Amino acid sequence: MSEFDVMPGNKALAHGVRLARVEVIPVFPITPQTTIIEYLADFVANGELDAEYIHSEGEHSCMAMAVGASLAGARVFTATCSEGLGYMHEVVAQAPSFRTPLLLGVADRTLGWYWSLGPDYSDLMPELNLGWIVNFAETNQEVLDMTLQLYKVAEDYRVLLPAMMSLDGFYLSYSQERVWMPDQEVVDKWLPPYKAPYPVDPTISDKFPTTSLPPPLHTTYRRLFEEVLQDARKVIKEVDRSYGKTFGRSYGGLVEEYKTEGAETLLVTMGSMTTAGRRAVDKLRSEGEKIGLVKLRFIRPFPDLEFRKIAEGIKAMGVVDRMMLHGTRGGGAFQDLKSALYNSGIRVPVQGFVTGMGGEDIPIEDMYLMGRKTLQAAERGRVEKEVEFVEHKFQAAVKPVEMEWGEPIFPGSDGCAGCGTSIIIRHLLKILGKDTIIINPPSCSGVNFGAVVRVPWILANFAAGAAYETGVYRALRKKGKADKVYVTSYSGDGGTVDIGLQSISGAAERGESMIWLCYDNEAYMNTGIQRSGSTPLFSATTSTPAGKVWPGKQVRRKNMLMIMAAHRIPYIATASLSYIPDLERKIKRAAEITRAGEGLAYLHVQQPCATGWYFPAEKTVEIGRLAVQTGAWPVVHIDHGDFKIDVKPKELRPIKEYLQPQARFRHLKDEQFEIIQKDVQYDWETLLELEKRGKFPGY
Amino acid sequence: MSQDKSVIKGFALADTAVRGGQYVGNWRVFMPEVDYEKCVGCRLCLLYCPEGAIRADEANKPDIDMRFCKGCGVCANECPQKAIGMKREEEAKK
Repeated sequence: MSEFDVMPGNKALAHGVRLARVEVIPVFPITPQTTIIEYLADFVANGELDAEYIHSEGEHSCMAMAVGASLAGARVFTATCSEGLGYMHEVVAQAPSFRTPLLLGVADRTLGWYWSLGPDYSDLMPELNLGWIVNFAETNQEVLDMTLQLYKVAEDYRVLLPAMMSLDGFYLSYSQERVWMPDQEVVDKWLPPYKAPYPVDPTISDKFPTTSLPPPLHTTYRRLFEEVLQDARKVIKEVDRSYGKTFGRSYGGLVEEYKTEGAETLLVTMGSMTTAGRRAVDKLRSEGEKIGLVKLRFIRPFPDLEFRKIAEGIKAMGVVDRMMLHGTRGGGAFQDLKSALYNSGIRVPVQGFVTGMGGEDIPIEDMYLMGRKTLQAAERGRVEKEVEFVEHKFQAAVKPVEMEWGEPIFPGSDGCAGCGTSIIIRHLLKILGKDTIIINPPSCSGVNFGAVVRVPWILANFAAGAAYETGVYRALRKKGKADKVYVTSYSGDGGTVDIGLQSISGAAERGESMIWLCYDNEAYMNTGIQRSGSTPLFSATTSTPAGKVWPGKQVRRKNMLMIMAAHRIPYIATASLSYIPDLERKIKRAAEITRAGEGLAYLHVQQPCATGWYFPAEKTVEIGRLAVQTGAWPVVHIDHGDFKIDVKPKELRPIKEYLQPQARFRHLKDEQFEIIQKDVQYDWETLLELEKRGKFPGY
Repeated sequence: MSQDKSVIKGFALADTAVRGGQYVGNWRVFMPEVDYEKCVGCRLCLLYCPEGAIRADEANKPDIDMRFCKGCGVCANECPQKAIGMKREEEAKK
């Protein structure tokens, strides 16, 4: 007898992955997907799941790791959503032709089209036609069940295709529901380990999957591929039945029908909105209307044959879309359904609805109205307006308040109490003035401070901060404004040392005369404290928890000073928010150098984070000072190659003084403190030697 | 080609002139209390206030705007004169 627990959808998905005994898990955080990989990190850190857990430096790499691991014959899981899925796109397109049956969890969230953390399917939309199996889940139980089912479908040799397990962000990802947990032994029997037919492994076979085909074979392979995807329907239904027999729950294949018996009108829904749809249908049924509901469980392969059967004898169908195919007037499922029916000879008026974009709730009342509209179409035998946008009025909750004195950043931000980053922004803008453009790759500061600064704040895409900045800077230079406007980034460590590094490196090499300011809180704080390339050794984060197996982060952080110095840019400086005059001097120097058109000025400012490092809020500045005085964060600069240590304690204080007040190092044992102490000592001596040398190597 | 701004439709705009924060004083658990006798007007609290909610009066001493103070206590922690104390909100109001 299996047991149930109450858990959010992301946890249900993680449990599904654990039960499936997935072997390789590449990860990269993004809201609202992140907790999936956090739960998985906990499983792995505590020895509950024996898997290779890979902290990737961006989604593009993350998906590439997944495809690579699947090619080598492992059972693979990764997860993302929204902008992350968009960034993966190229590799997502590659996966089907490699025939890699990996599973991608997508905690749906809007993509592009005005930033929001809430769900709509604009992130799935560009990925739909690449050859993946794509499903929607309505409940957390379905999330867990489908995770197991999809592995069995995908790994079937009749299929061998990747699959997307999509669950609505927030509505499922974070909402608690009752979930029955299958027994591990039963799962092991039902879902045996994946055995790749042709793994890339020269010790097993000379054959390996290829994506290189001569063009004359392309059309043929596309046909074969489409046949495989279409035949997957049979496997999907088969697996669903077998799952039902073994675990007592099945969902009916590609669509699920609700109260369709005797129905003359149908609402078509997908994902979590379906539950509201069911209640609206209940209400309309109680009012005597002959209406039913069809839940679209899979959008790829699209259940066209199923709909042709369902549509017989139906007077009208209303499709509720949480996605918009711009340029076609309607939503994705609406257009697919219409084209599925067109050549079948069945003439049913199809009413399209687009609603719930950006994660807006689709309440029962709206579903009821859409049901009524569809019933009207049934009565008239035609649709009045082919696509209706179900919209709501917006009222800002509170009016922003203006401060009487002219700080460059308004107080009253959404930042945590004791947040250090606002200290840095304030001093940055105090010096650069109002003719400054801030380019901000997604980070805490974008969410919390973007709306309270007095200068234009452009939210860039995560991997492309320096590229956005370059574009803005070059256009201004072309228009003769290079000496009138400062262009600076305000980026976190993730957007600098991990996913953003490539575009910074490009800008540095080209000598773009702009400022890159990295405020380094040593983890992805915006998504909830996951490790970054700048997280120090042994630090516990939500993706490197200290557990029975893991000691926190197991590798050292990147040395950005050295990386940037290798680009030989005119100015590089590290700074601390605890040493404001030094920070201000460095911002001034960076401004001078960029104004003179000499090239990129790179500022790397450490920002202690009370929330993510787990220390009391009032200690923000104190911890920053300790970092400098213990040598954990040396404050230095390289001006045209001249290297200087700006804050030089006579003797470094013991590293414990800095680490112990922070609970992210709470689990450290004496030998680990010693390792860090030795590291710090070694780095410090290296810096002293470099200072003696004067010129930094490479300049 | 029309270059008349009035024909533009559906263009989302931000405006630096109408920006501002929210009242966040209700986040506070502890409230800073300045002992103006002890304060020497060094302005460190102004420098470090994460919210920028402190301005200086004529004597360079802190004037904390309680509408925006989140009660983090950085000012009290950094004050070299120990002139700022953090008191529980209810006690401070008495």
